[in-house]
Amino acid sequence: MRIYSYLCKKVGDLTVKYSNLPESYIKRSYEQVYWRNPKGYPQYPAAQIARKKFRFTTNRPWTLQFARQNERGTLRKKVFLEPVGEWKFFKGDRVEVMVGKDKGKQGLICQVIQERNWVIVEGLNTHYRVVGKEKDFPGITIQSEAPLLVTTGVKLVDPETLKATEVEWRFTEEGEKVRVSTVTGRIIPIPKAAEETVDYKSKELYVENEAKDTAASDVTKITFQPKLCTFEMDIMESMGIKEDRVPAKSYWY
Amino acid sequence: MEFFDEKKNWNENNIKVGRSWKLDELRIKSNTDLHKLWYVLLKERNMLYTMEHECNDQVKLFPNPERIDKVEESMKHIETVVRERNVAYYQLETGETGERPVEEVVNLFGLPENYSQKEYFLPKFMNTRWIKTYLDHGYINSVAVKKFYRLYKEKQHNEERKARNRDFNHVQHLLKRFPDMDMDALKAEYPNVDIEKAKRSKKARGHYMPKY
Repeated sequence: MRIYSYLCKKVGDLTVKYSNLPESYIKRSYEQVYWRNPKGYPQYPAAQIARKKFRFTTNRPWTLQFARQNERGTLRKKVFLEPVGEWKFFKGDRVEVMVGKDKGKQGLICQVIQERNWVIVEGLNTHYRVVGKEKDFPGITIQSEAPLLVTTGVKLVDPETLKATEVEWRFTEEGEKVRVSTVTGRIIPIPKAAEETVDYKSKELYVENEAKDTAASDVTKITFQPKLCTFEMDIMESMGIKEDRVPAKSYWY
Repeated sequence: MEFFDEKKNWNENNIKVGRSWKLDELRIKSNTDLHKLWYVLLKERNMLYTMEHECNDQVKLFPNPERIDKVEESMKHIETVVRERNVAYYQLETGETGERPVEEVVNLFGLPENYSQKEYFLPKFMNTRWIKTYLDHGYINSVAVKKFYRLYKEKQHNEERKARNRDFNHVQHLLKRFPDMDMDALKAEYPNVDIEKAKRSKKARGHYMPKY
């Protein structure tokens, strides 16, 4: 039990949202349980032997690359994560890079990795790497972005002054939760790109699988009628099942 | 052949489907709709399990295994909604929930346990085959149970102590690495750690000149 809750905490909620997968699936795709006590026997406690320390990187937890990086027997140095409080960076945000060779430049966040307090800014803080190098082929050089820490590496850009600013979560008079720039007090709206998942760019653009999915109009249709009966009584009535036998007296203990 | 997927999906690598049903979407549905939906989901789950088994047999990759989790989540939500409705009915009519009664008991090992009661035709005093509670047998006060309980408590205490020390050490290291960190966030993440004490410790001092 304890290990279970231990695992749940680790994958960030933005990661779960982006993956568009059920949380239980993410958990079972990355957890490594080597031994689990059989269930239903009072003599065995609900104990299991499982991997507890995972190294989170740019590879997402449900992928094969993640599993390969965290193979059984691999132990890597502990990563100290600075507590950041409430998360403030979303995909599509305009940020200014505060460190490295691209210091002072602004760009859009293209990936958020909450497990490591990282964001990846499109086209900034890059390095070159060679892929596909073989004996008789020199390989192709590609530019790839390195992640930046949200605590020191990037700052959100104020929409009024177009300069880096600190940000706070506050409530509007309507009770909406918004990010507010502490310099000018302007609201920084959460971009549309934050809705994006691996399956669709935004919710409206999702293409239904006609054979499997329920149509949206069917989902929103209200068919509930309040009635003074239990679920079973209602089903029996609608299916024409009559039951007038009186159950014998029974005792619960 | 409803245990198998449609033939055109057999060699697919990626069968994309939507998300599972949410509780609020099920709450607006009638009982008959929920009943029908339950069987749709049950058939789908059977189909998915069959396909997974078949894929394993043929040493193939089962496409989109998260579909099983989606279906199970939906079924769990249906059960929750049905239970909510029944509880509301019984609360109104009888003042009780109508759920299976659960009793807090001390089990054979002397540990607290939630015992789900069972239904019997005989009352308790007449039921000679009913195993009396361990309390009646005097097991709880036996030497063996007492010894087990003492060791169990010791183990629990050790685990708690280790977790406490681990957290304290971790906070010390964090303070060393990030001296300008947001202290409120740290306090929120480690509520049981005395941060002032951690700051004073030698481990929390970084390899740099102190600021004062």
